[in-house]
Amino acid sequence: MLGLEKFLWEVHKLDQRLLEIGEMVVRRAEELGASQAEAYVATSRSFTIDVENNAIKSASEKRDAGCGVRSVVKTGRVGFAYVTTLQDEDLFEAAAKSVKLAKVSVPDPDFVTLPSYSGIYPTVKGLFDPAIQKLSSEEAAELIMRTVDATNEAVDARQTAVEAQLSAAAGIKAIVNSLGISGSVETAAIFINSSPTIKDDNDQTSSYEFQVSRNLKSIDPEWVGSTAGRSAVNNLGGRTIEGGDMPIILTPLAVSTVIGGGFGGAINAEEIQYGRSYIADALGELIASESLSIMDDSHIVGGIGSRSFDAEGVPTKRMQILHGGVLKNILHNSYTANKDQVENTGNASRPSYSGLPSISPSNLVIAPGKGTLDDLVSEIKKGILLRYTGDRPNMTTGDLSAMVMEGHYIEDGAIEHSVKNTLVGINMRDLLQRVHRIGADIRVTSTVVTPSIVVESAKVTSG
Amino acid sequence: MEDAAKAAIEAVLKVGAKFADVRIENTTTTVIELSDGVTKRSLASRLKGAGIRAFIDGAWAFGQATDLTPKGMRETGESVARLALATRGRVAKRFEIDGPSFQDKVRLKVKKPFQDVTFEEKIAFAKMIDDQARDFDDRIHNTRTIYGDLCTELYIANSLGTSVHLENSLPIVISITTAKDGTNRQRGYKSMGTRGGFEDLETERSQHIGEESAKLAVDLLSSVAAAGGTYNVVLDPVLNGVMIHEAFGHASEADNWPAHTTILEDKVGKMVGPEHLNLTDDPTLPGMRGSFEYDWEGTKTRKRNLVKDGILTELMHSLETAVLLDMEPNGSARAQSFTHSPLPRMSNTFMEPGDWDVDELISDTNGGLLLCGYNYGYTVPSKGQFMFQANYGYMIENGELTKLVRDVSMAGQILEVLSKIDAIGKDFSMESGTCAKSGQSVPEMAGGPHARIREIPVGGA
Repeated sequence: MLGLEKFLWEVHKLDQRLLEIGEMVVRRAEELGASQAEAYVATSRSFTIDVENNAIKSASEKRDAGCGVRSVVKTGRVGFAYVTTLQDEDLFEAAAKSVKLAKVSVPDPDFVTLPSYSGIYPTVKGLFDPAIQKLSSEEAAELIMRTVDATNEAVDARQTAVEAQLSAAAGIKAIVNSLGISGSVETAAIFINSSPTIKDDNDQTSSYEFQVSRNLKSIDPEWVGSTAGRSAVNNLGGRTIEGGDMPIILTPLAVSTVIGGGFGGAINAEEIQYGRSYIADALGELIASESLSIMDDSHIVGGIGSRSFDAEGVPTKRMQILHGGVLKNILHNSYTANKDQVENTGNASRPSYSGLPSISPSNLVIAPGKGTLDDLVSEIKKGILLRYTGDRPNMTTGDLSAMVMEGHYIEDGAIEHSVKNTLVGINMRDLLQRVHRIGADIRVTSTVVTPSIVVESAKVTSG
Repeated sequence: MEDAAKAAIEAVLKVGAKFADVRIENTTTTVIELSDGVTKRSLASRLKGAGIRAFIDGAWAFGQATDLTPKGMRETGESVARLALATRGRVAKRFEIDGPSFQDKVRLKVKKPFQDVTFEEKIAFAKMIDDQARDFDDRIHNTRTIYGDLCTELYIANSLGTSVHLENSLPIVISITTAKDGTNRQRGYKSMGTRGGFEDLETERSQHIGEESAKLAVDLLSSVAAAGGTYNVVLDPVLNGVMIHEAFGHASEADNWPAHTTILEDKVGKMVGPEHLNLTDDPTLPGMRGSFEYDWEGTKTRKRNLVKDGILTELMHSLETAVLLDMEPNGSARAQSFTHSPLPRMSNTFMEPGDWDVDELISDTNGGLLLCGYNYGYTVPSKGQFMFQANYGYMIENGELTKLVRDVSMAGQILEVLSKIDAIGKDFSMESGTCAKSGQSVPEMAGGPHARIREIPVGGA
């Protein structure tokens, strides 16, 4: 108990320290001529263990700290600079460079102002688990070796080389601006993965499984390992198939890239305003199958994308994106909301102190339907089970051509064999319309929460 | 700087590790992004700090320090060494790190160093590119121009006696243009990157990159989506480079051997493609974005003949993989910055030219596709599976280029696709890019001549 109190006191202190640094940097930028300024200050510690060929290969510990400064001089001139230390001279250099860049930039008539807010932020629980921060290198090694063992057990006697990684990170960030924004938050997350490469007499293949969580207790190394191992075995014997138009089942991992990335990126107001998104002028219109409902939920307890304020310090909320196939909302940050003169949805995001705010979903949640993955497979006469692809659509045209990185051919309601050299082609607008069946097998990938979905028809090429 | 590195190396060895190395980096960058003629992003950064590694018995540990005083470096060195000692009992194989050591101070000569060019000049250049794209045609709907420069001073030292000072200077300009006609929207993408100073942005090619991208976007308005199927495909130099990079380069990075994660594992010294196939990775070419004199472990670089007359002869090595595979280190270890451990990586990767005239190559290809430019590509070396997507292309009908097609993807198996390359052009050019692996991005180039692949699956949307 004593330890915990001391710990909380230390956190409180660091928290305050970052806000003070932010205030100091904002003041410095104002003194140098900024009419508005914003500082994003962050520190983090991460610990990583890498496994190669079934054994530990390396460990690393990184302590990162830095500050990004955004300065505005009158008439929409904005400059940004960052530095990877928190030493005064570097912070002042960053403040000076951001003001200098702002002064010489081409003014943006659509830039109105930095955001302001002085209320209380909504409470979002489960973002920081002290157990992750305190995870020792021995405990971390234990967890990742359990993952490796479970992988090997699932693969059984074949020749297997497992690559695996554990990464645990904890950090604090603070955002301060000239207009009263002042927020700080502490977060932690742990990530484990396993990727076995297996060989039998005439074939070599691999698979991949992972889990990411803000709660150490929910990490399940046996599940990650055994799933990766079983999937690798199932991937052996990949064959090409006869192409044509056929239904495609997207499992949660595939939905995560195709819809999470390919739709999540298209509802970005900045892309829409510039006419660079395949979804344009569609607000309020029926753009998807009526069975498709998607929510941007920033308040999920312990969600990887959960946040009480966005990357500009604007409070977040839960928001319906698609309901019954109708596009209800798109995602804004302060710039795009001011430009369209609409309410800011609090979807500003940035990688860390090293970037300017862009826009991203928090957690995209796809409403479940009915049935297990096996049920979905059993309903298909001839089609593809797409477990994983790395591909995203052309965001301007919506054209998607996705390689089946991991997937199986289905015939008469049963999985026949894994596929290779196979591509699935469809335009995203058609894909959204052709979602005709949604399962109930919900999985949290990282920032996407989704069941499997079935697309009625897409063009499959294989050879 | 030497003192700081020495303090860290001594601290690592004193704790009991057998090998130590240090990278101290000071990098400044400028990024300027304009869209529709106004500044959307102007960014300046400074990255400074040190990355320290310790090694014992097959176990590596890595840590980073931003306190570069001898005291700060010593403390980080000790903590990294302790981490290596803690994991040494769980390694797959015990071995030692050994190799040649180098001492050098390399100065990179550029005519117009980026620190001598004002923000105003850089913004004016970006504005000129953005304006020319927008003025190209009435159907241009959105323009986007990204200017970037990066200047690095790097010092590398290790416990084998290496002490190397390096400099780098990398400009890049990217133009992305959206054209619109009714509901039809198309995007053109062109980029140019070199190793040099601001003078490299005053060349003919750099000065017209906006027009090039605008022309492509407008041309694509009249393109059609290619019908999926199996085609004979002629790749242009850009796409050929991407194929070599994705379909072969990654699988020949030597860290795949101890990890058993490449389909090429049993192929060293064996035929992997036709006899007329030669694939090279060369970081010593002057002015190329992927060039460097020493790698991030301080090993002198040299040209790598990955595939010679169809035979896999050489791999991309770090000090560790050279020891483990008993091959010569060739300076291929690269890191994105001091905050990362170096990994075997490509530099400037290309197919050597052959003897086909490009026009003949096309007229010889009936019922096929000429594919050009690229959107992206990726690979999983452990499965040997790769895919990449061309930006645009043309149908080849009766030996002539006909309809313009867009966003054409190709998927294949590494070992199958190389054997299907049946004709290689005598032309040659390289394109700049950035390659990501294990969360680290490094600048690279890829290219070659036009080349033809027989019977490859092509997916249209």
